[in-house]
Amino acid sequence: MSSHYEAPIREPLVTGDKSYHDISVDVGAPILGRANKSWYIVFTIALLAFLWGVGCIIYTISTGIGVWGLNKTIGWAWDITNFVWWVGIGHAGTLISAVLLLFRQKWRMAVNRSAEAMTIFAVMQAGLFPIIHMGRPWLAYWVLPIPNQFGSLWVNFNSPLLWDVFAISTYLSVSLVFWWTGLLPDFAMIRDRAKRPFDKKIYKLLSFGWSGTPKDWQRFEEVSLVLAGLATPLVLSVHTTVSFDFATSIVPGWHSTIFPPYFVAGAIFSGFAMVQTLLIVMRKVSNLEDYITILHIEYMNKVILLTGGIVTVAYAIEFFIGWYSGTPYENYTYLSWGAATGDYWWAFWALITCNLIVPLTLWVKKLRRNIVWTFIVALIINIGMWFERFDIIVLDLHRGRTPSSWAMFSPTFVDVGVFIGTIGFFFVLFLLYARTFPVIAQAELKTILKSSGESFKKLRAREGDDVAHHVDNDPTAKSPSTNKEGEYFGHLQTEEKNHHDDTVHPGAILDTELKRDKVDSMLDRIGHFHPDKEEQDDLSKLTHAGPNIVKDLHQLGIYKFYQVANMEAKDYQLLDSLLMNFNNRAEEHKWAEEAEEQKNK
Amino acid sequence: MSANKKYWKSGEQLKDDSPIMNKLEQNEFTEEIPTDEFLGDKESLESSKTSRRDFLKYVGFSTAAASLASCEGPVMKSVPYVNQPERIVPGMANYYATSIADGHDFASILVKTREARPIRVDNNYEDKTTGANARVHASVLSLYDKNRLQAPLIKGEESSWEKLDKEVTQKLKNTSGEIAILTPTLASPATLKMIDEFSSKMGNVRHVVYDAVSEDGALNAFQALFGTRALPSYHFEDAETIVSVGADFLGDWQGGHHDMGYARSRVPKNGKMSRHIQFEANLTMSGSKADKRVLAKPSEQKKILSALYNYVSGGSSSSDLDAKLDDVVVKAARQLKKAGSKAIVTTGLPSQEAQLLAFKINESLGSEIFDTDNPRYIRQGNTKAVQRLVKDMKSGRVSGLMISGVNPAYSLPNGKEFKKAFKNLDFSLAFSMKEDETAKLCDYIATTPHFLESWGDVRFSKKLYSLMQPTIRPIFDTRQMQESMMTWMGKGGSYMTFIRKAWEPVLDNQSWNETLHDGVFTASGAPSFKPEGDTSGTQMSSSASSAMTNLMKGTSSKNDFELCLYTKVSLGDGKQANNPWLQEMPDPITRTTWDNYITISKKDADKMELENHHVSNGALNGDYVSLKVGDVELKKVPVIVQPGQAPGSIGLALGYGQKAGIQEEMQTGVNAFPVYKDFSSVQPATIKKVDGEHEFACTQLQNTMAGRDIIKETDLETFITEEKEEWNAVPKVSYDHNETSVRSGKVDLWQSFDHSVGPHFNLSIDLNACTGCGACVIACHAENNVPVVGKEEVRKFRDMHWLRIDRYYSSEEDFDKEKESQENRGAFDTYEDVETAEYTNPQVAFQPVMCQHCDHAPCETVCPVAAITHGRQGQNQMIYNRCVGTRYCANNCPYKVRRFNWFLYNENEEFDYHMNNDLGRMVLNPDVTVRSRGVMEKCSMCIQLTQEVILDAKKEGRPVEDDEFYTACSLACDKGAMEFGDVNNKNDAINDYVEDDRKYRLLESLGTEPNVLYQTIVRNTEEV
Repeated sequence: MSSHYEAPIREPLVTGDKSYHDISVDVGAPILGRANKSWYIVFTIALLAFLWGVGCIIYTISTGIGVWGLNKTIGWAWDITNFVWWVGIGHAGTLISAVLLLFRQKWRMAVNRSAEAMTIFAVMQAGLFPIIHMGRPWLAYWVLPIPNQFGSLWVNFNSPLLWDVFAISTYLSVSLVFWWTGLLPDFAMIRDRAKRPFDKKIYKLLSFGWSGTPKDWQRFEEVSLVLAGLATPLVLSVHTTVSFDFATSIVPGWHSTIFPPYFVAGAIFSGFAMVQTLLIVMRKVSNLEDYITILHIEYMNKVILLTGGIVTVAYAIEFFIGWYSGTPYENYTYLSWGAATGDYWWAFWALITCNLIVPLTLWVKKLRRNIVWTFIVALIINIGMWFERFDIIVLDLHRGRTPSSWAMFSPTFVDVGVFIGTIGFFFVLFLLYARTFPVIAQAELKTILKSSGESFKKLRAREGDDVAHHVDNDPTAKSPSTNKEGEYFGHLQTEEKNHHDDTVHPGAILDTELKRDKVDSMLDRIGHFHPDKEEQDDLSKLTHAGPNIVKDLHQLGIYKFYQVANMEAKDYQLLDSLLMNFNNRAEEHKWAEEAEEQKNK
Repeated sequence: MSANKKYWKSGEQLKDDSPIMNKLEQNEFTEEIPTDEFLGDKESLESSKTSRRDFLKYVGFSTAAASLASCEGPVMKSVPYVNQPERIVPGMANYYATSIADGHDFASILVKTREARPIRVDNNYEDKTTGANARVHASVLSLYDKNRLQAPLIKGEESSWEKLDKEVTQKLKNTSGEIAILTPTLASPATLKMIDEFSSKMGNVRHVVYDAVSEDGALNAFQALFGTRALPSYHFEDAETIVSVGADFLGDWQGGHHDMGYARSRVPKNGKMSRHIQFEANLTMSGSKADKRVLAKPSEQKKILSALYNYVSGGSSSSDLDAKLDDVVVKAARQLKKAGSKAIVTTGLPSQEAQLLAFKINESLGSEIFDTDNPRYIRQGNTKAVQRLVKDMKSGRVSGLMISGVNPAYSLPNGKEFKKAFKNLDFSLAFSMKEDETAKLCDYIATTPHFLESWGDVRFSKKLYSLMQPTIRPIFDTRQMQESMMTWMGKGGSYMTFIRKAWEPVLDNQSWNETLHDGVFTASGAPSFKPEGDTSGTQMSSSASSAMTNLMKGTSSKNDFELCLYTKVSLGDGKQANNPWLQEMPDPITRTTWDNYITISKKDADKMELENHHVSNGALNGDYVSLKVGDVELKKVPVIVQPGQAPGSIGLALGYGQKAGIQEEMQTGVNAFPVYKDFSSVQPATIKKVDGEHEFACTQLQNTMAGRDIIKETDLETFITEEKEEWNAVPKVSYDHNETSVRSGKVDLWQSFDHSVGPHFNLSIDLNACTGCGACVIACHAENNVPVVGKEEVRKFRDMHWLRIDRYYSSEEDFDKEKESQENRGAFDTYEDVETAEYTNPQVAFQPVMCQHCDHAPCETVCPVAAITHGRQGQNQMIYNRCVGTRYCANNCPYKVRRFNWFLYNENEEFDYHMNNDLGRMVLNPDVTVRSRGVMEKCSMCIQLTQEVILDAKKEGRPVEDDEFYTACSLACDKGAMEFGDVNNKNDAINDYVEDDRKYRLLESLGTEPNVLYQTIVRNTEEV
């Protein structure tokens, strides 16, 4: 069991006394439970925002881009700002799931599912803008290199915009596949726990027939690794390509060689900020505080500190080089004295404050581990990173090379409406996701429970690395789960009539209803174990009752000597038929008598 | 021979009376046709297999056929010619030489027609002195004005010509008092002859000539000195020293047309160019071009003119000017004297005394520039006669009034009085194209055609004549004034024959057809011109001393502002106010469209707490003032703080604020004519700030170059003495750690295009010759179907001009100092000092900018769908059909010349300009696509024109001639500032410009390799 070892000084990644079963229940609760009022309120607001956005998009497409605030000088503003912002947000997911997987960062397991979901939803929002910002969006397919009826007409491979199309679509599809792959065992878990036939059917379809055999797991691991390898370069390539939209141009302020790395860092910066924003809310709402712990939040804050630092250095370099070049054309780039003192001073200072000054507070450990402060900082970074893109696009464009064409931009209600619409759309998707998807990669999380679970750490600290001890405390045989009722998710199905004792492991021995009924009738005869009232007896004191046999007995619900003492011949036969290697040892060794003795001791 | 042969099918035929044959003769078929089997009786049908499947087939087919038949193809309105008209070949343009003479603009022009409809006005280069300005270029759109009247009107009701003729003849006969004919300057010998005949026939007819914007002072002075009521000609092209005291001779001063000669004198040749000193209050185009511009209010201008007279003519050697100004005047006088006969003094002061003094100065200089032998007749207005007419109308002495081509109810300073006097008239008739303010008052409107539908003649000057011919059949039921007069006089024949007859003595053996073809005609020794209209009471003394004393009289009180009224190059006197091209044409100085406004100096604005500020989308807002001149008050006039405005003076453009007969969108600005008292462009005025904020629509709001190398400048001395590298250095960039010229070809990532086959076009723009007049802007609109977007959209920086004329003010005293200040700026100083124009008296520079057609175009590489391609001939080609509208190209264009179709600008009620009605769309050039919404557009270097030239040459089996290529802008520029040509043809004139030392390319350091060149500005700063 050395693989389960983790240095005790490391903080646990799963807090609370969690068993494997608890994880299943906790993760399944939001899906199998029923949403409460506040979910519906939030969802309605998001839906309304989304519909408002749809209205604005329809208005734009039917009337013309002129309904936005753009002009002859500033050809992009909120549209591409939002695009880059959303793409940037979409960076954390892949980083967490791919890069951190390769680096074997176990803490990713609690957050990767939601981060990936966020990635996919964010990229979907992002993908919207390059389409609707076109003057003739109905011809958007022309940017794809597809055979056409126009003879030799082909796309322009020199254009960074074209590479954007490739980068975004590749990113979206790889992220989607990666996400889904990770979801398979979890969907299967939901499938197995779902009670309503409709749910069962849907999750059956979604889980692609996952059966949980070792072969399944082996392939699962292999695919995950391959996809992680594939996705890792994408983390770098997507925002690099997005940055080419600017870096390869000759607009002062855009034409900058540090854009690719700086954009990637900025994207991760904003992506983690968004993960923080979402998860800090979700861990509370979905009762996942034990899985997404303050440690996770701190880790992510550290990533934010790192990437934020990179971004800060990039800002400083941009500012310095612009000034150092001595060319007047650089005077008004988005990081320049001209920007700081010009008409858009507020946008400049918003960027500096939100991305540079406020995140510095995370150097303080207390603040880094303060959930409220983290949430505030994350929100501020989200705003700051929006301003960064706005500054890059609008500030650099508004003072181009020919001063006669200098202009200003001011958004219309449609600009704002479309943006709000995408936020609404994003939350519609995310809220639906939170209700229908296992929001934590429970299958993966279970693999670190023994090494990083709080209770196991405590146990190990108390008991040492005793093998037998671990067997004794096999979590599958542990007491019933404690965290079934979330604050926000009432339970519908768990209340349903359940004839079977919860302590019975559902999958291992009793794989048919018939067997279950037999065991139940046996327990009715010999007596039930009540874990909340009674202490279990050490059944290994019985002759030839090794650890495996004890475990099996536990699984069948036999914990007490008095139960064994009550057993009759037909119960022995039942045990023989159910348990492999039992070989009639109970009768042979007169367990009933031994148990009677022990019971009375 | 073979006829007897008989062919047979069976032996039976050979028998004479075969029963089988008989039977066959009766029945076509020998056996019964099994029709039952085929059609089927009920039984067989039931057994037949065809029933269901075939039924479905039939149903399917018949449904499809029925639905197809019910779809109607779109009805196209093009009707083919039944008989091919002579000389009209579909797809081929026809050109007609004609003239415009609307009383304000006189020009000899060429009109391009396609399928018998005029689509473009060009200069007629047969004559080099009467070029077409922006308004003349735009006049073709006024032809297709949907607000034109379509039939004669009697008391506001549409009527017929028969009825109108009947009633008018009756009225003419019965009117007891005098009948007055009120016209603008006609300068038309035939019409004058016609009016003469008319008055002799009718008796008691008075012809009054009324120019809305008067040149009365100059006319009176000229008459006093030289005997004819005319204006002198000026040969600016030969000028060495030009001193202008408040004359915007590059604008509409004395009828215009001085810019061509001036521009020629400004291009340094053999190290020489003219020196231009301008004393003025408003910042004008002339002041912008001047080598030395001195601020002087009109009251100071009077003193300057007197002092100048004294210094030049050797009179008094001192003046009452302050020392600084006196010094400038002394130097100017010295320079004038040095140039001698090559010197010229002009003045824009409205008084006849001032004009007389200027003429006297020129006379005493012996100026050859000042030409009195060939006086110009394009201004004849007589203000005294007009005032008398109003008086006589009031008194009832004049009881009939016929008005043609003027709108006194709008443009008379005492318009209200005039309107009141109208009530005393027995008979009033307007020859008008529109139901304007005056026509509305008239009982009859004899609807007239546009000049492009009319016959006519013009006499520009003593020697220069021009003919006007229709270029299209009258679109509406209209009739020219002259034709109407002929009808009412009972005179037969057409006006055309009348002109022909009238021209017989003038033509002097030259064929009529040839003259008509050429458009212009230079007479050798024609009879002198009889002044138009009623010229009584315009005498004045020709003595200079009395002029000087009179000039100084009545100087206004110190508290008043001196209001300088002017006309804009776009709207002029307002005759074409309903022309959206002109409304949207930016003013060359303020770059403001769709408006007039008071221009005020920064100093005065600060004092009065008047402000201009930018709103969040960057557009300009300004305060309102109420303007009071005497007892007339204009409420709510917007104010623009104008750099270079002389403190104590304010400017305001005439021609705006029309309300009647024009579309609501074009009812822009404030009518300034009520303060044009006594037809004097200078008025004492007071202004008071009032509430409210005006929204301006400017196309350029950054007024300075912010120390950048956009327009290159040098002075004449440096230009002559220094190496080219000193004043026109080629930008260098680091290559292999060596400073390498961007023209070396080394510092280049791209492969060059092969331009060796066929033509390779370059366009050279001489910034010295460009006066910023904007004729090219309008010509480009006409040629390329550039849409008009309206005031609100211009305000949002969405104007669609393919060609713009940037105007920069210096932020320091001059542009050199500005650059210095930019270079020496501290690291943490704001950019305000280089961004803000020098308000007192900045240097000004104009720069026309269109697509630069870069050989290494930044726009081409970034388009994802390759909608921008590079032509072999050097053009950067925008493929509208392919464009999906990402606007990336526009962002990446360093020159910001690409224009996006934010909306659908044609057939869209939101943009109710000429492209929204069938009539207005007739002006569209069929050779150029009308762009749809969502696509990018830009200057194409008029590829349709260059291709036409190539194809014409091909058809005629000849090589393209030297200098045969042109673009709409290069053709429109009569200053010669734009030269277009093929650099592959070594004989083409463009090569001289490519080789010129003054040549530079805009933002050359970027390596975009534009095919548009600029010629450095050279200023003659030399003081003597």
